[in-house]
Amino acid sequence: MRSLRRFWKRTWQFVTRQNDERRLREEMEQHLALETEANIRAGMAPAEARRAALLKFGSVEAVRESYHAEKGLPLLETTLQDCSYALRMLRKSPAFTVVAVLTLALGIGANAAIFTLVHALMLKHLPVADPKMLVRLGNGNNCCVGISSSDNGELSLFSTDSYEYLRKNVPEFEELTAMQAGFAYRPVVVRRDAGGETPRSVMGEFVAGNYFRTFGLAAANGRLLEDRDDIAGSPLTAVMSYETWKTRFNGDASVVGSTFRVNTKPVTVVGIAPKGFYGDRLLGTPPEYFLPIEAMPGIANVTYVHGTEVMWLYLVGRVRPGVNLGALQQKVSVLLRQQLAETPHYSSQEGKAKLQIQHIVLTPGGAGIQAMQEHYNQKAKVLMAASVLVLLIACANLANLLLARGMARKAEMNVRTALGARRGRIVRQLLTESLLLAGMGGLAGLAVAYIGARALLAMAFPGAVNNPIDATPSAAGLAFAFGLSVLTGMLFGVAPAWVASKAEPVDALRGARSGSGGTTLLQRTLVVVQAGLSLVLLVGAGMFAESLGKLEHIDLKLDPVNRYIAHINPQTAGYSQRQLGDLYRTLEERFHALPGVEKVGISSYTPMEDDNNNWSVMVQGKPDPHLSASYIKANADYFDSVGTRVVMGRGISVNDTASSPTVAVVNREFVRQMFKPGENPIGQHFGGGPKSAGDWEIVGVVENTAYQSATWKDHMMYFVPLMQRQPSADYPIDKDEEMYAGAIVLKTSRPIPQMEELTRRTLAGINPNLSVVKFQTFTAQIADQFSEERMLSRLTMLFGALALLLATLGLYGVTAYGVARRTSEIGIRMALGAERRNVTAMVMRGTMLQALVGLSIGIPVAMVCVRFVRSQLYEIKGIDAGVLICSVVTLMAAALLAGFIPARRAASIEPAQALRAE
Amino acid sequence: MFECFLLLSKREYDILLLETKRTGDVKQKTDVKQGTLALMVLKTLEVLGPLHGFGIARRIEQISGDLLFVNQGTLYPVLLKLEQEGSVDSDWGTSENNRRARYYRLTKTGRKQLQSEVQDWQQTTDIIARFLSAKAEELS
Repeated sequence: MRSLRRFWKRTWQFVTRQNDERRLREEMEQHLALETEANIRAGMAPAEARRAALLKFGSVEAVRESYHAEKGLPLLETTLQDCSYALRMLRKSPAFTVVAVLTLALGIGANAAIFTLVHALMLKHLPVADPKMLVRLGNGNNCCVGISSSDNGELSLFSTDSYEYLRKNVPEFEELTAMQAGFAYRPVVVRRDAGGETPRSVMGEFVAGNYFRTFGLAAANGRLLEDRDDIAGSPLTAVMSYETWKTRFNGDASVVGSTFRVNTKPVTVVGIAPKGFYGDRLLGTPPEYFLPIEAMPGIANVTYVHGTEVMWLYLVGRVRPGVNLGALQQKVSVLLRQQLAETPHYSSQEGKAKLQIQHIVLTPGGAGIQAMQEHYNQKAKVLMAASVLVLLIACANLANLLLARGMARKAEMNVRTALGARRGRIVRQLLTESLLLAGMGGLAGLAVAYIGARALLAMAFPGAVNNPIDATPSAAGLAFAFGLSVLTGMLFGVAPAWVASKAEPVDALRGARSGSGGTTLLQRTLVVVQAGLSLVLLVGAGMFAESLGKLEHIDLKLDPVNRYIAHINPQTAGYSQRQLGDLYRTLEERFHALPGVEKVGISSYTPMEDDNNNWSVMVQGKPDPHLSASYIKANADYFDSVGTRVVMGRGISVNDTASSPTVAVVNREFVRQMFKPGENPIGQHFGGGPKSAGDWEIVGVVENTAYQSATWKDHMMYFVPLMQRQPSADYPIDKDEEMYAGAIVLKTSRPIPQMEELTRRTLAGINPNLSVVKFQTFTAQIADQFSEERMLSRLTMLFGALALLLATLGLYGVTAYGVARRTSEIGIRMALGAERRNVTAMVMRGTMLQALVGLSIGIPVAMVCVRFVRSQLYEIKGIDAGVLICSVVTLMAAALLAGFIPARRAASIEPAQALRAE
Repeated sequence: MFECFLLLSKREYDILLLETKRTGDVKQKTDVKQGTLALMVLKTLEVLGPLHGFGIARRIEQISGDLLFVNQGTLYPVLLKLEQEGSVDSDWGTSENNRRARYYRLTKTGRKQLQSEVQDWQQTTDIIARFLSAKAEELS
């Protein structure tokens, strides 16, 4: 009870900063006066009386200290005292403080930024109920629409029939749902019915009726899709994403229940998806609308939803508790094979053989379809490794700075010890300083992390709308980086003090310097390690830059100058296949009428865009090679508009119509793979299989223009006139998806800045529903394909530069410190006759030696690390001599610079002054 | 320049710092623990009534018959502690020779504390006394 009362009194005194200093002084003075008087009365002389009184009283200081120890909260007070002292000291050496805080901020910030993104990308769980019970049927990323069997037997794409079969026959799934695999390539055009706004081309995903139920979601407003929406003939409904609702419609409740025109068809928005739900996969631009699968034929005008074996769905299921996944995988595979056995694709001898190995691999579905994660996996690892290296360099720098500072304050520590400070007290004070520094660095690092994460996101997903990946720094990443920096700070801040406090205080009072001149081995080691790590990062950056350079200089065999590409979707605009001939003719006329337009190419898709359509091919009269080639329908102007050269025979002409003989133009690679060297392909026939080998007659050969990717080497392609169909096709034109062109390529005589607006107007003039899905210059489209490599290259260069900066700072710091410590030694040397340039040379030698040792460590490490990043590089086998030499030269130049300034300072030392200033 | 705690005392006085050893040169007197000092202060205040610091020190000196070595200064922290615990109250007053002095007096809490401490002491001394006077046979 008493002690509690005391504690409260103390706290109160602390808070109100009571200082009864005066009272104590007065009391003590009075006491001494009384004692002195008593002594005088006893017969002493006044001076002696006073002296005797003081003796009896005891040490005034000791009393004062015991007195103060009873008041206030000594621990807290001393800590605050330490803090304010530390701040003062840090303010006194601004260079040190700024460099230390900056170092920490960069190291922590870079790491936290990368960690945040990787965390958000890799470890993000779908914001759904109980993600652990979700299972995905399939482990691959094949997309999007087609009939194919997998070479390794692993199927991830399924037909509607397969889905319904599995759903009926696998009770182990509480729910099994299906979602469109390729919605990212098939935007829908949406416009609110009331309001007269222009239609927008947005992401819309077609999903099964139990999609939201499988994920265990509840609507933010209205209701979500249910089974009754997914019945053929039921009224068209849709669910809007929360982000869209908030950003485009300001959370207007009247949106629910209102009608929207999706691809011109009226659809009722029945509800809003829950907040934070961005779909079943991570995409830069997540779906804005979810629609039922049964609505797809009507809205998207596709024919593969029913009655075909076309595979186009991803499947995700929620398993019942206690279900054995291994057994379930077996069962599902067996059932699927049963169902596929009935389909035409697997009915032939060959098909039956292939069917045996087809199976499904069950993968965890809690994070959704992992397409993006797998794609970025390797890149993420490379970036994380680089950022950890930078952090290590930063910590080494910090350690060096603190060590140097600690050594410099050795004398101060000795005096403190002599004055009676306990070791614990000194250590506590230094700890406070280090923690304060680490704290400031951490806060600055937070800012860097936030900005860095945002910049990274913008680089990785240019043009993303409603990106679900959060840029706020992840707690885990921050904690890791922060923790490491605090640890380094504490270790290297306290260590020198610990060492110093062991020394005899009397040495410091005598003024002797501890003999060690110059830097310690630890400091030099740290700098060497820094240099080595920097070299590794520099080499890495060099290699990524080289790879990017190689990529960008690949001859794509096209001409992007003065070319514009407009992506369209006549299918969603409501055109039937039979109306396309007129449409294409009108397009050609109207665009040719525009001033400056020379060529108007129309095709299924264009070079260097993320699209491809592969069909199996076989030359008539030759054995089936089991190969496939990309298939494009194009008009006569197409080759000229993209700049593809015809090297043999002819291109597509205006005379190639629906009624003329079916012809095709193949690329050089097709000829190389399908024909023997020297054989003339012109006049030969080819088709999809043995029965259809006579479908197309080859009339010309074109260059190997790069399609989809610059690095696709053995890419066979064939081009077919827009309105022609293979004679062997056993389905009517109304079911032929290939008839729809996807792009218009315009070649102009000069750059036309307002081309996009002109294009929109021209298309709208033909049909208001014919909107521009995407408009780019050819150059921009090509550049987009390199965006990832460019990002990686930029980032590694940034990290390399950062590492170099930190290493240079470290080198400079250590050299400067060494010079300062050796001032008297240098003074003696110069007094004994050493020239200034000798002194400079001596200092520089030290610096360069450290850099060289660092190099000798860094080069073998770099060579080992190359192995890990080789997969990310284009046609790079090992470290290029050029890259290595460049990195080495850069590092040596930095070392030269780092050593030069202190060396000059050393050379300008006045010997007399140096000797005097002990 | 760095900060440090400055010394005020002159070289002649032997006790300067907290941690360095005491080289006491008055060997006959014994040190007193802080707890017993508090007890003595309280008793003094009970017997003599309100008193200033010097008076208390003098009284303790008298009673202990100069056998106790108390640096008079150490009284003040003890007085502060007692004040914080609520056992004594203090206020400014005038001393015998018309000087301003801080007078301390016992509070009700202090009286109670004194009583309980005295009881403890009595108990302790009784037990020890019994032990010291016990003969071999009585302990069988």
